[in-house]
Amino acid sequence: MASVKKTLLIGLFFAAVCVGGFFVYINAAFPTVRCEAAKVTHLNAPEDLSDCASCHAKTTPRDAQDWKESKHGVLLVKCFVCHGQPDGKGAIPFNAKPEYKTVCGACHEPAMNRMAAKYGEVGDCHTCHPRHQNPIHRNAFEAKTVTDKTSF
Amino acid sequence: MTILRRDFLKGTAAAIALSVLAGPVRAAQSGGGEEKWIKGVCRYCGTGCGVLVGVKGGKAVSIKGDPRNHNQGLLCLKGAMLIPVIYSEDRILKPMIRKGGKNDQLTEVSWEEALDFAANPFKKALAEAGPASIAYYGSGQALTEESYVANKMWKAGFKSNNVDGNPRLCMASAVAGYITTFGKDEPMGTYNDIDAASCFFIIGSNTSEAHPVLFQRIAKRKETSPDVKIIVADPRRTNTSRIADVHVSFKPGTDLALMNGMAHVIIREELDDARFHGKYCNFVKGNDPVNFEEYKKFLDDYTPEKVESITDVPAATIVKIARMFAESKGTVSLWCMGINQRVRGVWANNLIHNLHLLTGHICRPGATPLSLTGQPNACGGVRDVGALAHLLPNGRMVENEAHRKEMEALWNLPPGTIAPKMGRHTIALFEGMTAGDVKAVFIHCTNPAHTLPNLNKLTKGLQTAFVVQTECFKTAETLKYADVVLPAAFWCETDGVYGCTERRYSLTEQAIKPLGESRPALEILMDFGKRVGVDPKLIPYQNASDVWEEWRLLSAKSVYNFAGITRARLKKESGVKWPCPTENHPGTYLRYVRDDDPMVPKDHPNKVFFYGKPDGKAVIFLRPYDPPFEPADAEYPFVLTTGRVIDHWHTATMTGTVPELRKAYPGAYVEINPEDAKKLSIVNGDPVVLETRRDKLTFPARITDTCMPGLVFTPFFDPKLMVNKLFHDAADPISKEPEYKICATKVYKVS
Repeated sequence: MASVKKTLLIGLFFAAVCVGGFFVYINAAFPTVRCEAAKVTHLNAPEDLSDCASCHAKTTPRDAQDWKESKHGVLLVKCFVCHGQPDGKGAIPFNAKPEYKTVCGACHEPAMNRMAAKYGEVGDCHTCHPRHQNPIHRNAFEAKTVTDKTSF
Repeated sequence: MTILRRDFLKGTAAAIALSVLAGPVRAAQSGGGEEKWIKGVCRYCGTGCGVLVGVKGGKAVSIKGDPRNHNQGLLCLKGAMLIPVIYSEDRILKPMIRKGGKNDQLTEVSWEEALDFAANPFKKALAEAGPASIAYYGSGQALTEESYVANKMWKAGFKSNNVDGNPRLCMASAVAGYITTFGKDEPMGTYNDIDAASCFFIIGSNTSEAHPVLFQRIAKRKETSPDVKIIVADPRRTNTSRIADVHVSFKPGTDLALMNGMAHVIIREELDDARFHGKYCNFVKGNDPVNFEEYKKFLDDYTPEKVESITDVPAATIVKIARMFAESKGTVSLWCMGINQRVRGVWANNLIHNLHLLTGHICRPGATPLSLTGQPNACGGVRDVGALAHLLPNGRMVENEAHRKEMEALWNLPPGTIAPKMGRHTIALFEGMTAGDVKAVFIHCTNPAHTLPNLNKLTKGLQTAFVVQTECFKTAETLKYADVVLPAAFWCETDGVYGCTERRYSLTEQAIKPLGESRPALEILMDFGKRVGVDPKLIPYQNASDVWEEWRLLSAKSVYNFAGITRARLKKESGVKWPCPTENHPGTYLRYVRDDDPMVPKDHPNKVFFYGKPDGKAVIFLRPYDPPFEPADAEYPFVLTTGRVIDHWHTATMTGTVPELRKAYPGAYVEINPEDAKKLSIVNGDPVVLETRRDKLTFPARITDTCMPGLVFTPFFDPKLMVNKLFHDAADPISKEPEYKICATKVYKVS
């Protein structure tokens, strides 16, 4: 029993070191961005919570960078257009994984109809089009390798 | 299986190649169960995107882009979120007056009482101090019919030329640029040119944030034809430059030298089109004609090396962009406030036109200088209507006797009715209010207490004069100064025409009834005018259609002829581009071009005919480099500039009511280059003071390399941090447009 406790404690310690190390790394890698994520919860977002991207550059850097490099990023189709506002009080429902028929369809309905007519229903959009990816000079269905950029 | 998969993917790629370019939003709100869709135009910028408003049970429930208008069904994120703005809690729904003077509270009253209260000081001023003591301050957001009636009431009814408005602050330099170079206002090209261009020269415009739907169209052009070159010239490395082949970051205010440098390279390397400028252009220095050789000699002062010393742009880059511009099959130039809001805004406009005239990149598909506009109806509603202090309808000038006589005949006025002297332009108007010379002002559809330059100085006029304001939103800063607030119906609650950047007139039809007690502004204006004493025969209109009918037929007496754009046609079609003289005319794509522009005689010997000029030739001006009014110096070592962000529009009275837009950009900030931030020990979020010779304000810092070292930027939308308090009010001597883009500032951290 004691050994189980000890193992658990070691495990907890190890986990704490990993999490701490992660935050140290993130803060070192993104020195100009201050992270408010630790202080706010999405559904209780204060009025002055600014754009999502500044936090997500730290918390989900790959998604943030992918968005930035995508057509949506270039054309400034911001997070809330698909994901809604974190406090759920906006016109668009807050959803980390938006329902594709209404959310993608809001802009891409004509294209989705053409695709469905040609290929039938093949799952949601992301079956073929990787989330947050679609750079301006690539084919939309090709998955990108992990970005090596860290600037945002 | 692999082959099948590859084929599938190829097929997929082909199918989505055009459609998947998402960008602006096709329909961000899904109402569901709409009973009808009513056609209109977006309320925001000058792009003029067509919209369809979904109506259910008498309420607007959804919006989508009009697939038949130029935007082909797309809207930007602001346009896609217009519906919540209508039902915002900030709407003003009852007339209000301040009975006890400026220090009293606004109290709600009946329309009768409010209009009488509004009219009496105007009547008194007219009787005691004459027509020059009253003024109308209008807007590029007002409907065409409203601006037309206000202009007629003032200039013909009250005999006062004090009619100006916020277009003076944004497009006056573009107007004067077109008029001085081509003789007539408004561009010769259209948005179609974007789809045919092989080179874009974008200068002084953050298209991606200020005109997102056009930016999407440019990006799509680049995506489908990767050989297309994009030059973005801007001291800020904005989001627009993300699709650029070359971003030219020049020292703020030196673009006149840059463009003369490009002209120098074009001529030195014989990239000019001598046949074109030989046949269709005159060279002019000041007011005097000169010849090509003298122009060449003038450009000797602008060798790439000399220009490098002025602009900080490497000489090789100047040569490179000049070649790109000239050697393309067709170049489209796009510019906006970075060029217009300058003490030499008109000259800067002339220099852009010079490049097109020199190279012959004009009056062909995909080759045009196209000035972008910031408001939805500055072109159609104010420039064409002539609702500015120096203008009369259809490009006529107040100080031209023949033009005044023409208008007096067309409006059935006794000769000599229209005052021969131009009225007060915006700065002079607000100065006149401060001095007590202008005693009463009618402000329509704009928020000058937020948008004027040198606010601390110019808002004194609003504290002094009697102010009547039509407004939809309680958050407008100007309400603080208004003696009377008249609630106007908002956007799709009434009907009227907007004219956008590309000479396209589109009708917004009434989708829902005006909320509360608000009334269409046209009715308000006419009721007010009659109370002040305008002859009712001068404004005999029952509705906006009657006004349009008169305006349409009036245009037939000018080269701005759109007599063929009837109200019925506007209801049927999603916008028509003028000139359009007859009902069966499809509208004009290329202005000044024989067989395309109906104003060019079909038997004209030349393909291109700049009929705005007496000899049919456009002008290439010798315009020297002139520095900005207040460059950075030892005491104020930074340059401050200002502009828009994608999420907000103008003073955020509309976009601020939408939770998503408000939270995406809750407040203004100051962009500082990392080099400068390091020197000043500023990190992201630090409170930073901007102190100019006028005032100082504290902004949170945003450290980014968008701004070049030595330059700081703040957006102007935030009513809590009105950056215009920091700016001077020096204006272009020709256009009287103030220089909002450059002033000197100190930057320091709050200790």
